[in-house]
Amino acid sequence: MLKVGYKILFYGAVVLLAAIVLMPFLWMLISSLKTQVDIVAWPPKFVFSPTFQNYYKVFGEQDFIRYFINSTVVAAFAVGVSLLLGLPAAYSIARFSQRRLALVILLARLMPGISFLMPWYIIFSRLGLMDTYVALVLSHVLITLPIVVWIMSSYFETIPIELEESAMVDGASRNYIFLRIILPLSGPGIITATTLAFIFSWNNFLFSQVLSMERTRTLPIAVFNFLSYADIDWGGVMAASVAIMAPALVLTMIFQRYVVSGLTMGAVKG
Amino acid sequence: MRTILKFGLTVALGLSLSGGALAQTKEIRVLLANHPYGDILKAEIPQFEKQSGIKVNVESLQESQLTTKLTTEFATNSSSVDVFMTRPLQDGKLFAKNKWYEPLAGYDFSDYPANTVSIVTYDGKPNIVPLVTEWQVLFYRKDLLAAAGIKVPTNFDELAAAAEKLNTGGVAGFASRGKGAAAVTQLSSYIYNFGGQYLDKGVAVFDSKEAVDGFRYYGKIVGSYGPRGVTSMSWENILPLFQAGRVAMWTDASVFYGQLTDPAKTSLGADKIGIANFPAGPKTNSPFYATSWGIAIASQSKKKDLAKTFLEWATSKELAAKAMGANITMARTSVWEDPAVVAKVDPGLVETRAFVAKNGYPTDRPFMSAVGEARDLIGEIVIESINTKGESPQIGDMAKDRVAKVNTLLRNTGEYGQ
Repeated sequence: MLKVGYKILFYGAVVLLAAIVLMPFLWMLISSLKTQVDIVAWPPKFVFSPTFQNYYKVFGEQDFIRYFINSTVVAAFAVGVSLLLGLPAAYSIARFSQRRLALVILLARLMPGISFLMPWYIIFSRLGLMDTYVALVLSHVLITLPIVVWIMSSYFETIPIELEESAMVDGASRNYIFLRIILPLSGPGIITATTLAFIFSWNNFLFSQVLSMERTRTLPIAVFNFLSYADIDWGGVMAASVAIMAPALVLTMIFQRYVVSGLTMGAVKG
Repeated sequence: MRTILKFGLTVALGLSLSGGALAQTKEIRVLLANHPYGDILKAEIPQFEKQSGIKVNVESLQESQLTTKLTTEFATNSSSVDVFMTRPLQDGKLFAKNKWYEPLAGYDFSDYPANTVSIVTYDGKPNIVPLVTEWQVLFYRKDLLAAAGIKVPTNFDELAAAAEKLNTGGVAGFASRGKGAAAVTQLSSYIYNFGGQYLDKGVAVFDSKEAVDGFRYYGKIVGSYGPRGVTSMSWENILPLFQAGRVAMWTDASVFYGQLTDPAKTSLGADKIGIANFPAGPKTNSPFYATSWGIAIASQSKKKDLAKTFLEWATSKELAAKAMGANITMARTSVWEDPAVVAKVDPGLVETRAFVAKNGYPTDRPFMSAVGEARDLIGEIVIESINTKGESPQIGDMAKDRVAKVNTLLRNTGEYGQ
C-alpha cells in the first residue's frame, strides 16, 4: 500500500515538473496555430479553430527557408572548424597539462561578446567579407571552439594513458595514436561537443545581428521580422520560434543519450 | 596539420571572393525599419529602380537592431549605408553630434510643420526628412463609458473620476505604460499639462513643482486604477489587454488606433473603440506631437547623388498620400489638407491631429544624446510613484537626485545649457 502511495507521489511530481517545464513550449505551439485575435483573447482560448496562416507567413511570405539554410551553413561550418582545431588542441591540453592554454581559450568565451564586434566589423568590412558566410562562421567559432576544447580535453583525460603507452611500444606515432586510437574511443564526447556547439551557434543573436545582412540573415535575427514598430505579430513570432526550435530539439532528442553520458564522463574521472 | 590549415584558408579565401561581389556603379544600400511605411517603400522600390536605373539593396530591421547596426557601422567608419530610416527623437542627437547625417541642403522643407523641422535641424541645417508623426491620445471603450453614464474625460479631474468609476473587478479603469523607461514618453504629456518639462534649454528641470505634480498624478491614476503588474507593462502588454476588453481607457500614442479598429487584430468591434484628444491639465493642454520616424542620408555615403535621388522619391507627396490611406500619419502638411487624401484616413485621427498640430509639443522624451540613460533614470521615479499611488514622500527628492544625474549626462556630452 505504502509502495503505491510513493509511486503516486513520484509520478505526480514528475507530471508537475514536466508541466512547469513544458508549459511555455506548449503555449508557444498553441499560439502558433491561433489568429492574432485568439492569441490576445481573455480568458485564454483552449478550444479554437486552428489556422496555419502563421506558418504560411513564416515559410511563404517570409523567406525562412533561406534563413534556415544560412543558419545551418554557419553552424555546421563553425562546428566543423572548431572540431578541426579544437580536437587536437584538447588532446594536447589533456595529455601535456596545458592548463594555461585552456584558460586563455576559456577567456575568449568569458569576455562579453560585444567587445569583439567593433574590431570584427572593421576587419570584415575592410576585407569585403560583410554579408558573407566567412565572417559569420569565423565569429561563431569564438563560441563553438571553447565548448569543443573544454568538453573534449576533460573527456580525453578519462581515456587511460596506458592505451597510448602500449601503442607507442608497438611503434605508433602521436598522430597515429590520436587519429586511430583516441578519436575512435571518443565518440560520445565528440557528439556531446558537436551538439552543444551547434545549438549555441544556432541560437546566437549578437554576432549575427551586426555581421549578417539581408543575404546571410540567420534565424534568430529573422524572428524580429515579425516585430514591427508599435505592432507585434505574435502568431508569426510563435510559428517562427517553433520552426527554429524544431531542428535543435530533434538533434538533442537523437543525441541526448550521448550528451548526458559524455558530459558526466568528462566530469567524473575515476 | 599544415595541409589542413592550408585547405581551410583556401576555402575561406574562395568563399570571400565569391561573396564580396563588386558593387555596380549605380547601386545604393538602404536600411529601413520594420515599419508600415518601410513596407510601402519596399513594395514600391522595384518601380523606383525601373524609373531611375538605380539598383537598391534594401534591408529592413527591427528598430533597436537598426540602431545597433547603424551605430556599429558608423562608429567604425566603414559603413556602406547610403540612406536609412531613423528615429529623430531617440537617435537624432547622438547621430547628429557624431556627424553621421548628411545635412540636407537643397531639400524643400516648406511642406513640413515648423516644429517637426526644428527637431531635425542641427547647426542651422535640417539633417533628417520627417516621415511619420504621432501624438498622444485617449483611447476609450465607448460601450463601457456609455453603460456607466460617463462623458469622455476632457481634463485630468474627469479622467481620474472616470477611471475610478470604470474600475471594476475584471476591467481596469485606466491604463498607461508603467514600465520605467518605456513610460517616460507617455508620461511626458501629463508633465507638460501640469506646466512642467523634462529639459529646458539643455538643463534638466523635471524636479519643478509642476513636473513632480505630474509624476504624482500619473502614479495615482496608473497605480490605483491600472491593471495588475502595470509597472512591468509597456505598450506590448497594455495593447493586448485593451484588445481583450480588460481596460476601459488608455493613453498612448495615436499609432495604435489602426490596430484597435482592425477586426483582424481586435475582436471588440471598431464601433466600441473611441479616440479622443488627450485631457487637459491644470495649466495647459499640450500633449506631445512627435516625429517618430524620419529618413536621412549617411554622411559616409560615397554615392550621395544617388542617395539624394532615392530620398526625394522616398519622401514624395505621392507616397505620403498612399501611406495615409493605410492610416500611417505622415508628417507632410499638404496631405492633411488634401480632402481626397483625408477622406481615406480615419476621422478620429484627423480630428485629434488637427488639435495637436496647433497645440502639440514636439518631443515626448528628454531630447539629448544619452536619451536611453535619462529615460532609465526618470523611469525609476515613475515606478516609485506608481507603486505608492503617487503618495510617496520621496518623489520630490528622487526627482532632484535624478535631475542632477541627467545634468551630469548632459555635461558629459557637452549639451548642458545648449
